[in-house]
Amino acid sequence: MNAKTSRRLQRLRVLSQFFFTVLFFFLLLKSGGALIEHLPQTGFFFYIDPLFLWVNFLAGPFFHAFLLALVPVLLTLVFGRFFCGWICPLGALNQFFTWLGSRRGRKKIAVERNALRWKYLLLIVLLVASLFASQLLGWLDPFALLTRSGSVALIPGANFLTQHALQSGGQSQGWAGKIVKPLYDLSRRFLLTVRQRTFLQASAIGLLFCGLLLMNLYRRRFFCNSLCPLGAVYGFLARYSLLRLRLNDDCRKCGACSNHCTYYGSPFQDYLKSECVLCLNCLTDCPFAAIDPRFDLPRSGKRPALDLGRRTMLAAAGCGLAVAALPQIGVAKKAKTHPFIRPPGAVAEKDFLKKCVRCGACLQACPTNAIHPAVFQAGLEGIWTPILIPVNGYCEYECVRCTRVCPTHALASLTLEEKKQFKIGTAVINRSTCYTYADGYNCAVCEEHCPVPEKAIRFREVEVYNFRGKLKKVKQIYVVPDLCIGCGICENVCPRTDAPAITVGAEEEQRENAF
Amino acid sequence: MKRRSFVKNGVLFSSSLLLARSSPGQAKPGSEAPPRPAPLGQVVQVKGESPYEIAKRAVAEIGGMGKIISRGDVVMVKPNIGWNRTVEQAACTNPEVLRAVIELAFDAGAKKVVVMDNTCHKAEDCYQRSGIEAMARKLGAEVRYCDENRLVVHDFKGEVLSKWPIFRDFLEVDKFINVPILKHHGSSGLTIAMKNLYGILGGNRGKLHRDMGENIAELAGGFRSHLVVVDAFRVLLRNGPVGGRLSDVELRRTVIASTHILHADVAAAVLFGKDPREIEFLQAAYAKKMGEIDIAKIPVKALTV
Repeated sequence: MNAKTSRRLQRLRVLSQFFFTVLFFFLLLKSGGALIEHLPQTGFFFYIDPLFLWVNFLAGPFFHAFLLALVPVLLTLVFGRFFCGWICPLGALNQFFTWLGSRRGRKKIAVERNALRWKYLLLIVLLVASLFASQLLGWLDPFALLTRSGSVALIPGANFLTQHALQSGGQSQGWAGKIVKPLYDLSRRFLLTVRQRTFLQASAIGLLFCGLLLMNLYRRRFFCNSLCPLGAVYGFLARYSLLRLRLNDDCRKCGACSNHCTYYGSPFQDYLKSECVLCLNCLTDCPFAAIDPRFDLPRSGKRPALDLGRRTMLAAAGCGLAVAALPQIGVAKKAKTHPFIRPPGAVAEKDFLKKCVRCGACLQACPTNAIHPAVFQAGLEGIWTPILIPVNGYCEYECVRCTRVCPTHALASLTLEEKKQFKIGTAVINRSTCYTYADGYNCAVCEEHCPVPEKAIRFREVEVYNFRGKLKKVKQIYVVPDLCIGCGICENVCPRTDAPAITVGAEEEQRENAF
Repeated sequence: MKRRSFVKNGVLFSSSLLLARSSPGQAKPGSEAPPRPAPLGQVVQVKGESPYEIAKRAVAEIGGMGKIISRGDVVMVKPNIGWNRTVEQAACTNPEVLRAVIELAFDAGAKKVVVMDNTCHKAEDCYQRSGIEAMARKLGAEVRYCDENRLVVHDFKGEVLSKWPIFRDFLEVDKFINVPILKHHGSSGLTIAMKNLYGILGGNRGKLHRDMGENIAELAGGFRSHLVVVDAFRVLLRNGPVGGRLSDVELRRTVIASTHILHADVAAAVLFGKDPREIEFLQAAYAKKMGEIDIAKIPVKALTV
């Protein structure tokens, strides 16, 4: 293909990557803080992900939106791994960082040939595990990973930095302040959250993500080449795709085509359709215009492919069995108690762990910053599943955002009326610390905030001896468990500074029986 | 010069200045009742069908906004935007009442009108759902969110409430107009103008619920409201302050205005149907000699339009 067309195609590819990355982050950013009616369809990127189709297929009931995932699958059978090279926002970020790293010109960033196989083996582990109870595809799926990292670390981090940079700039006297102050006001109005969002595991998830990006400086598109389970799916399909890069007679076997290839292959010696993401760098690198993309009918015979090794694959499947079984035989599985509450609409725990893809879309959508990615609260397989932490935020009574953005309906979609009835837990008063009991004076902040119209938190006036031994009338707080929906605003606003005197636990949560 | 003619001339003079700016409100001098000097601590209580009209009338009857605001003032209008609730649920100040106050403030020559409140629910939600943000922006007022970086410690010089963090914005204005909504409140009995001042504070406000009556009284004593306009158009009678159920809301179609915060609150309490002496913070304010608690001793002018 001639140089001009090659360059045009390459630019088109970069443009497409840019577009989808911006679209992805725009939707994610918009889904935080938007009014329920204006909540964007963040689901789009999840519905075109065949791994999520698989999760939904296993966990049921089936949602037709996931049939969209067949579109990139069919297109991959025609074009190969175009998705990784043209669409995937995480792929775009990885490519960008690799590009940054190689621009320094000091050294060529290596590709670990042997590590290309990892992603297939990982996929086998995760798929085998998903056949049993453990559904861990979301840990590595690029969309889940990017949404989670974006919600928990990137967006709040950017918010913090923008806020502080603009604020300190805006306070300076003189011309700098004059320029920055309006910028600050504008960003406060349209971009920044009024209160900085904070997350459990913000550092862990943020560092993990930074680590993945930095790996690109040492290994080309490390995540895409070696870890991505979605890339593995497309890589497997791409072996049968119609499009291939063919050499014409002008090829002098100089090897320039491999210079900027994501896996350092070259169409003349070790061309692997499963690894080629159609970045088309080879087309522009070739000095002789010797490479032509052509559609070939699938030919019988041997297709050049990575050799995974039968034994290694069996070993991976074995690992999958272990990953599936081990979390299921921990002692926590039998316990009646659990130390966390789930967002409204959450299905029964057993199903929840199968349905939830740990993407963290709900974390971003939650207006009060109440939903957080679990560490070990929900067990090993529950890492990064959403839990509610009332001391950080409460479940807003007039809100169903998390149930609307959940792509796999692990949080079943609720109407506002259903949500107001949905009991996610029950509040309990600690009488040894509540001011109205322990110290004998009035408080009632929790009663004031209780959103249930009939008030699930009430007080009764009683005469008690306070800590000075004086008889006093005090409005003592009590909870009406039948009315309490467990929203946690009481725990959130309790003025005690050591630990809240009213807390919400999973007692009487309705989800175990609801669906 | 008599006081009456002084005020009259003053208004004529300032309206001539305003005419040069061709402000629509002052272009028709007859549209507003001529301001009369009101007795000290007078309360005006206006009943009517339109919250906007009665609020305008109430402010006019108290002596007009021109008596409170000087030309070029930066004015803070502080509604109750505490909750993520709609107008019908009557947990936040009616935007129509706010509209009247903001329009009058601009007409009286305010350079800038700022609207803000430290909300209980998430600020963005409250500002939007209450309809207050949209209304204020439409009228050209500046809508600010409380920025925790702008907290400063202020001395309210009370016995219980002395130093407490307050948003600097509230200290950096010339005039402060308190526009609360009258509603039921579990622990303090009622929330009106004095309790509305909790919204200027930052910090762990829940701590102020101990000795709440004293705190509210000292807060109102330590921070001046130049004008109080109480929205009692829709009144939440039970399960306040957050409410939510429409059956707890009753139409009272009233707006109360006064330059005296205690008197405004006493009149509002009576309108609600409570004995002001049973409300802790009113009792505390009375004990601090901030004014009268007996409605019979307060000059109240009640009218229906």
